[in-house]
Amino acid sequence: MRMRDLVDTDFGTVDRRIFWDRAIYDRELERVFARSWLFVAHECQVETPGAFVTTYMGEDSVIVARGDDGINVFLNSCPHRGNRVCFADSGEGRQFTCNYHGWAFGLDGALRKMPKMGLYKSTPGFRMEDWGLKRARVASYQGLVFATFCDEAPPLADWLGNFRWYLDAVLDAEEGGTEFLPGGATRSVMRCNWKFPADNFVGDIYHALWTHLGGADPALGRHGGVKVENEGSYQVSANGHGWEFNNSFLGNAATMGDREILRYMRSRQDAITARLGKFRADMWGSVASATIFPNFSFLPGYFTFRSFQPKGPHQTEIHAWTLVPRNMPSDIKDRFRRGSMRTFSPSGLLEMDDGENWEHSTSANAGWVTRHQRLCYAMAPIAEADLVGLPGTVTAGQLSDANQRLFYKRWAEMMDAQSWADMPLPPAMVAQGTAT
Amino acid sequence: MTATAERKPDYATYPRLTMAQARAAAAQLLAMRGDGAAVDDPTLLAIERFYRLEARLLDEERHDEWYGLLADDLFYWMPLRENRFRRDPRPPLDPAAMALFDECKADIAVRLGRLASNLVWSEDPPTRHVYVVSNVEAFSTELPTEFEVHSSFVQHRNRSEHDEATLMGRRRDLLRRVEGGFQLARRLILLPQSVLLTKNLSAFF
Repeated sequence: MRMRDLVDTDFGTVDRRIFWDRAIYDRELERVFARSWLFVAHECQVETPGAFVTTYMGEDSVIVARGDDGINVFLNSCPHRGNRVCFADSGEGRQFTCNYHGWAFGLDGALRKMPKMGLYKSTPGFRMEDWGLKRARVASYQGLVFATFCDEAPPLADWLGNFRWYLDAVLDAEEGGTEFLPGGATRSVMRCNWKFPADNFVGDIYHALWTHLGGADPALGRHGGVKVENEGSYQVSANGHGWEFNNSFLGNAATMGDREILRYMRSRQDAITARLGKFRADMWGSVASATIFPNFSFLPGYFTFRSFQPKGPHQTEIHAWTLVPRNMPSDIKDRFRRGSMRTFSPSGLLEMDDGENWEHSTSANAGWVTRHQRLCYAMAPIAEADLVGLPGTVTAGQLSDANQRLFYKRWAEMMDAQSWADMPLPPAMVAQGTAT
Repeated sequence: MTATAERKPDYATYPRLTMAQARAAAAQLLAMRGDGAAVDDPTLLAIERFYRLEARLLDEERHDEWYGLLADDLFYWMPLRENRFRRDPRPPLDPAAMALFDECKADIAVRLGRLASNLVWSEDPPTRHVYVVSNVEAFSTELPTEFEVHSSFVQHRNRSEHDEATLMGRRRDLLRRVEGGFQLARRLILLPQSVLLTKNLSAFF
């Protein structure tokens, strides 16, 4: 089965079997997740040598550890009998010791020692260096750490490509970099296919007009809550990554209902505009959502960053953090901590409305007839973007399915490609003209 | 004042805690270890009655009446649980860390405003709740009108057809005696799950 036959990315239809079939899901683990650069941590989570967090790349459990020479990412599974090596979500230490037989690994994943080591030393052909925890390639962009187990994947900079210029609107808005607020990931389970939340964040502001009416009502007033227009708004896509946004600077943040946050954000507007230029500064906290392909998403304004971890074709685990500029005053950080929790967390006024939709969009496909009716991703953008010099594929108006079609286009390319040679990335451009 | 008395309440005027007050309330909850003298049986019975009333009001979606049981200086906290090694020196519960609930009374009012908007499609048709509270232990504090109460709970939900979630946990409360009963002034809710094994927390605890 060719995946490009299951998604028509010109008009915009998607075969529902891609949200249901086990065989397609298994191919995603191999061809998408095992060949992509995946978000694994923020540098602030592993700041000092010995600091570690555990997370997932696809369904592979991994350890992200700061060694003496930098950040290492390796499989969290002992190569001796396969047991999980580290059961803590985060912490500090000098080695990871498997509970089963006591094999111990360093912060680089290398096998260091084990009980009765002499028995292995006298085993013909056994070499310690052959039995470390399998290491991934690691690279960072603006504090976000990504990893891949694929040797052929292009460098992270090329993988992000033209999207980097936009990412700076949230990752480099203020001097001094960013950090995750303390407390580890907020984790919850949804019984949905991972692509529904990923495609929602890549370009679906349309749902907010209806899904989130109730959640926005108390903060912003009846039917006045969610202001979404095609005037002054855009979608941009690059390499399957996508961001839909308007130019409101703090539109998303306003729905947290905290006037002190808005006062603070306005006080930073001139400085951020001077740093990024008006176009990108206006994106900082605006009505917007974004996905870094395949499963790492964020919302400007709330600054919730989350990965949609695949747990089978019909289950997804959400891991969420809140990212703020490191130099933000501590009382404002605390307001973002509470504001992002009260909107986008399992108890969040807005997130609570989403899960029900994605779960039933998934479970409906149990029906054979249902599963064979295609879904509509046909909403056209109002126009090509009128701004010149913007990197990526830019369309005017944030209300369209443009980014979602390009997300599934890239998904199908990766699913069908035998090797990286069959799915090249376009060269990144440098922003110019009105873009700056 | 009830949460839904007006069509468009100005939540900025509702009772709030400063960051320092919230931190002090969290510290008070974290220090609760059942060290005070156990209350007498009539007081324990009155507290158990209060919990039964509270659970029934929530089960029956009588949110405005439940809101009336909350003190104006309410601090309502459900921290995240993280898997850490026993040797880890960090405090397991940190009021500065991300949480699942970290609320003052005004925040609860906003939540009730959402439910009362009649625009929340994920609660229509309504979810059915059963809230069981047990293992109630009550202790006296330095103030004769305030009680430290520990309990455990089962919060069961069903909606639609197969959509079901059962959450169990522990609570630490500070109850304040007022005319006609009690008010809830502090509540720490501890779920044992580090990964919330359901999609949302569309419920009160």
